[in-house]
Order: sequence, then C-alpha cells, then structure tokens
Amino acid sequence: MQPNVPPVGPPKRNLSETVWTKLDRKATAIAEFTMRQYRKKRSTWSVGAVGGVLVVIVLLFYIDAMSAGIDSWDNDGDGLIDEDPSNWDGSQAKSVGDVDDDGDCWARESFDRDWNGDGIDCNVIYNYDRNGMLTSVNADPNVDEDPNESEFLEESMHRSFLLGFGKFGFLFVLGIFIPLFLATGLIRDEQEAGTLHYLVGKPIARAEILMYRLLGFIGLAWPYFLGLIFLSALVTGFFGPGDSIYRFSDLGIWFGVLIATFLTVLAYAAIFASFGIIAPRFGVLLALLFAVWEFFMMFLAMFETTREMGLASLSVSFWGAEIINSTGWLVWGDYELMTGQAQSIGFFAEIALWTVWYNPFPTTTPLLNMVISIVVLLMLVGMFVLIGQSSFKKRELN
Amino acid sequence: MMPDMHQVGEGQTQQEWQKVPEAPAIMADHVSKWYGQVIGLNDVSLAISGGVTGVLGMNGAGKSTLLKIIVGRLRPSQGQIRLFGTDPFKNPAPYHRLGYVSESEKLYDWMTGLDFVTTLARLHGMTRDEAKDRAMHVLNFVGLSDVVNKEIGKYSKGMRQRVKIAHALVNDPDLIVLDEPLQGCDPLARTTIMNVIRELGAMGKTILVTSHILSEIERITEQIVILHNGRLLALGNLHAIRELLDHIPHRILLRTPNPRELGRTVLPHPSVYGVRFPNPGELIIETNSLSDVHQDLPSLIVESGMDVTAIENPDDNLQSLLGYLIGGRA
Repeated sequence: MQPNVPPVGPPKRNLSETVWTKLDRKATAIAEFTMRQYRKKRSTWSVGAVGGVLVVIVLLFYIDAMSAGIDSWDNDGDGLIDEDPSNWDGSQAKSVGDVDDDGDCWARESFDRDWNGDGIDCNVIYNYDRNGMLTSVNADPNVDEDPNESEFLEESMHRSFLLGFGKFGFLFVLGIFIPLFLATGLIRDEQEAGTLHYLVGKPIARAEILMYRLLGFIGLAWPYFLGLIFLSALVTGFFGPGDSIYRFSDLGIWFGVLIATFLTVLAYAAIFASFGIIAPRFGVLLALLFAVWEFFMMFLAMFETTREMGLASLSVSFWGAEIINSTGWLVWGDYELMTGQAQSIGFFAEIALWTVWYNPFPTTTPLLNMVISIVVLLMLVGMFVLIGQSSFKKRELN
Repeated sequence: MMPDMHQVGEGQTQQEWQKVPEAPAIMADHVSKWYGQVIGLNDVSLAISGGVTGVLGMNGAGKSTLLKIIVGRLRPSQGQIRLFGTDPFKNPAPYHRLGYVSESEKLYDWMTGLDFVTTLARLHGMTRDEAKDRAMHVLNFVGLSDVVNKEIGKYSKGMRQRVKIAHALVNDPDLIVLDEPLQGCDPLARTTIMNVIRELGAMGKTILVTSHILSEIERITEQIVILHNGRLLALGNLHAIRELLDHIPHRILLRTPNPRELGRTVLPHPSVYGVRFPNPGELIIETNSLSDVHQDLPSLIVESGMDVTAIENPDDNLQSLLGYLIGGRA
C-alpha cells in the first residue's frame, strides 16, 4: 500500500545538518586554510627556527651551569664542610624538631642549647607574618651553621631558571615575538595581498573570520610552544639538581608555564591581529610600541613598591607571569624557607629567586590569583577580539 | 517573517499559498560613492533580476565601484543597495546566492586549482566531500579539468580567470558578478569565458559583467548599463541604443588592393556621402546610415569584382557610443 504522503511537506533534512555543523565546517575550513598558509610561508619557518634555536641555546647554558657545580666552603671554620646541612626540601619548614644533623649542638652544655628561648633545645624557629611570609630565622647554637652552599645554590639557580625562563623566555620574548610576526598580518596581509575578498565574500560574518583566523594561528602556535616547553621540561628535569633521575616535582611549574604561555600568546595574537586591522600600515609599529610597553611593565613588576601599586597589572605579560608565580607558590611551598635560610646565612642566591619570584598579587592566595589571572587574560582576549571585529566589520575592501 | 512554502496550514490548501514576490537580485537606490573629493559613483539607481547584463564604461567610469558596492566590499556614501533585499555590507547572508569574480588578478598561487575552489566551497558550509565534488564539477564546467592538480601560480592568464569564475560558481549562485573577466585573456580564453557566461545566462542565472570593450559585451548580451564618470548614462537594449546611432555620421574602413576603384563603385550609393583614402590600400566610406551601407556593401563588392581583405567599423566602439550619448554625435 502506498503511504499517504502529503503533496507538500517540509523538505527532508539531514539530521546531522544544523546551523552549528555548518558553522563548524566554516571554522575548520578557515582555521585549516590559515595553518596551510602559514606552512607555505618562509617567514613562519624562519621565525619558528629562531625561537627554537634560542630555547636550545638557553637550555645548553642551563645544562652547563648545572653540571659545573659550585664548591662549598667551611662557614664555621671547624674544618668540616656540610656537616650540618639545611633541609632545603621544606619538609621542616615550620617544624621545631631536631635539626642538628652533626650533633654539635647537643654536645654543648644543657643550659647552652636553647639560644632562641623557645624551651626546645637545638632547633630552628622560622617566624612568619600573618600572610605566611618569613620574617626571621632564629636558630639555636651550632644548628644549620654550615649548610651546603653547592646544594643551596644549585637548587636556587634551578628554580630561578624555571621561573625566569618561563616568564622572560616563553611568556615575554617568544610570547610576544611569535604573535608579533605571525598574527599581526592575520587579516592585514590578506587585505594587502588583495585576496581578502575570497574570504569575506562568503556567507560568514567578518567577526567570525577573525576568530577562525586566530584559531588557525593558535593551531600552529600552541603545538609549537608545547614542543618547546616539553623540551625544556625534559632537559631541566634530567639535568636539574637532586638524587632522582628526573625531577617530577617541577612538572607542575612547567604546566603553569604552559597555561600562562598559551593564554598570553592568544592575548598577544588577538591584540596584534586587531592592530593590523585598525592600522594596516602601522600595525607592526603599534605592536612594537606595545611590546615596549609590556617590557616596561614587566620591569615595574620587579620592584615591590610599583608592584604593590598594581601598575604592572596594566599589561598582558603581568597576568601571564602571575600564573607562573602562583604555580611556583603552589608547587614549591618552601620559598620562605629558602629565602629565610639564605638571608640568615648570608647567601646572595636569594636575590636570584627574588627577581623572578614575587609575592602573589592581587591576593595572597596562589590558587585564587591563578584563577584571577586566567580570567583577566581571557577577558583581554575577548576585549581585543571585539575591538578587532568591530573595526573589521566597518572596513571597506577597495 | 517569510512563510514556510512547504507547510500546509490548517484549513488551507496548497493553492492558497501564494509565493511571495522575491526582491530583485540587485537593487540600487540613488547610490553614490565618493573617495574624499573624488566621485566614484554618482546617484545610480537600477534594479536587475535575471538575464545577463553588461556594464559598460571607460576606465574610471565607476564600473568596479558599482560592483564592489553590489557585493558588499564597499559601503555607499549615499543611497541604498540591496542584494536579494538585504544590505550586503552589513549582512553576509546574501553571499549564499552570490558568486563574485573580482578584477584583481591576485590568487593563492601556492594552491592547486582544486584546492582553491574546494577550500572556498567549504566556506559555504559544505562538507569536504561535497566541496570537492562541487569543485570538480565547476572546474570541469569552465574547462579546467585537466589542470585541477596544478598550482595556480603555474596557470596562464586565461586559466586564472577561469579558476576565479569556477570559485564563484561553486555554491550554485543565483547571481554572478564578474568584473572584467576577459581582461588580459588571449582570444581562445576569451571565447571560452564568453561561452561560459552565455551558458550560465541560459541556465537562468542573473549575471552582471563589466567591460570597457563594446564588442565583447555585444557577444555576450544585449542588455547593457552604460556608466560614464560615475553616472548611469544608459540602461537598456544595446540594439535600441545602436539604432539611435545608425543615422549619425559613421565611417567604414575597407582594405583592398585598389581602393580608388572600389570608391568609385560605392560612391553612388544614396547613403554614402563621401570616400577617403587615408593610406595606400585603404578606403574609408563616410555614411549617415550604417545599416543601409552594410546591407548593400557585399553586393557592391561582388559587382566591382575586387578583393577586400577587411571591413572595419572604426566608430563602432564604446568611445563613439559614449561620444554620441554625451554630446549627441559619434
């Protein structure tokens, strides 16, 4: 029997066909096309190679510094070195237990073992302020009196390297450099080449084209950074100080660097691509000026006064760096201990840490800080994408 | 809201659904465009729907500006433009039904023809397979099926024009806008492209094609729009415009080994008021009825028994047409 088919009915629609799938196809097509365009350009390879070589050179310096080692010296003049090492790993950061490794405190008369007057013999008191910052170290006699400079310096240098390379190397130098050369022309280059009408003459809103082009850039830049950060994590993990073959404890830091770099690179790409749209002729110049601004802000962030004034927060790199800072606080809980020990013993190595590891801002809670920083960076991305989109929408293609 | 044509409502029969009259493909309402102090387009109004329309004008007449406004690349400084009833600068929706071939020769030279057309087809929301099938189809239609896998950078000028046309056809558009598609092409490529345009017109598409060469447009269509200094000078049938031109002084150039002898033969013709011999082997007939002379010329030549190697109409060009339309003389 013939089914009773109405003479006119809604056309049969493929169920998998929706507005979204079409949008998705267009997004994939533009992103893919953008990535293919990058692959075909010699400049992409040159910029990528320069970045890669820089990272490798810095890592070679790191390996060299780590393998050279530093001689310890006899602080207390007893002819012995490292007979009473400090406990750098932070396991006793706030403890008041027995930390007299070589027993020379216990060898003293019983009335002479409690110089810090806490009623416990042969211990060290670390005093913290309300915010958990170490304010002073108060040790009983002959406790931690001859720590191992080599160990301390290596650990300090290693940590400084991770934080410093993460912030200045990936976030700042490469993080600006790669989007500056590769994202400024996302729309501008097409317009200059006279091929933009092939993209905008299609049933896609211009605002979407910018987003999908950015997606294409990210599709290339993120794996690139992932590769370089993975390489750095491998090298520093294997060559870093410690008895284990690989320092798994640092992976958290590298993860923080990765997240920070991804978001910062995305933000810079959105900013530079928008500059390219707003001022096609002076886009690169604007981007360079912006980079100088970022550098200046990064510099301000290094000083406690300007940092606490929040001035540096008017930059992108600041919020990226803040993610790394917060990761540092979360992964290495013994920063106060290290700085306290360095201060009490007179190591200048603390300065190295200080320059790359700041107090958290705007809050003192690292996790909250990280969330705030991620939100701020995403908001910056959104803001600049909107600025670029609104300029692009009004742009005439002569 | 547009009613759903496929839906049958309660108590209504199919016959009760009347198709809503569709907005014209192109509607320009007093459109002007100026670039600083320079006027690109001056108060142009027109509506085009269906058929092939040629846009004629000298360089700088405003042809490209008009086309760019139509396809939403430029925004009119004054007036309104509607593409299928929608402002093309603000809304990309009508691009679903539009195919645009720009005058720019720029292409993605690193892509193959197939790649280029497929990628741009995907921007219409097609799947990879659909896009590839459509791309192959249109590349075949424009006669590029042999070179689909060749890089566009290695294409000849004619091939480049054709791949641009192919990309504009990939979404099966209702309106195709071609800006100087024949420019720089060799005679073979010109013929191919003209055939493609004619065929598309026969398929019922609305086509707008610009040129500054009258004979080119004449071979494609009779419906023309003439622009001059940004203004719309004439709009209508080319033959009707030509008829107006017929009774104004015209020259016909003939190449023959004995021009004086031939001159003597044609001079008695009532529509011929003079002959000249500008160069050896050349005869110019001056007439005020071009069609009459052309009608009788073959028999006169046969009568004289002379060899004629070429017959040309030096005044039958856009410049003469414009001259007449502007100043009343060819």
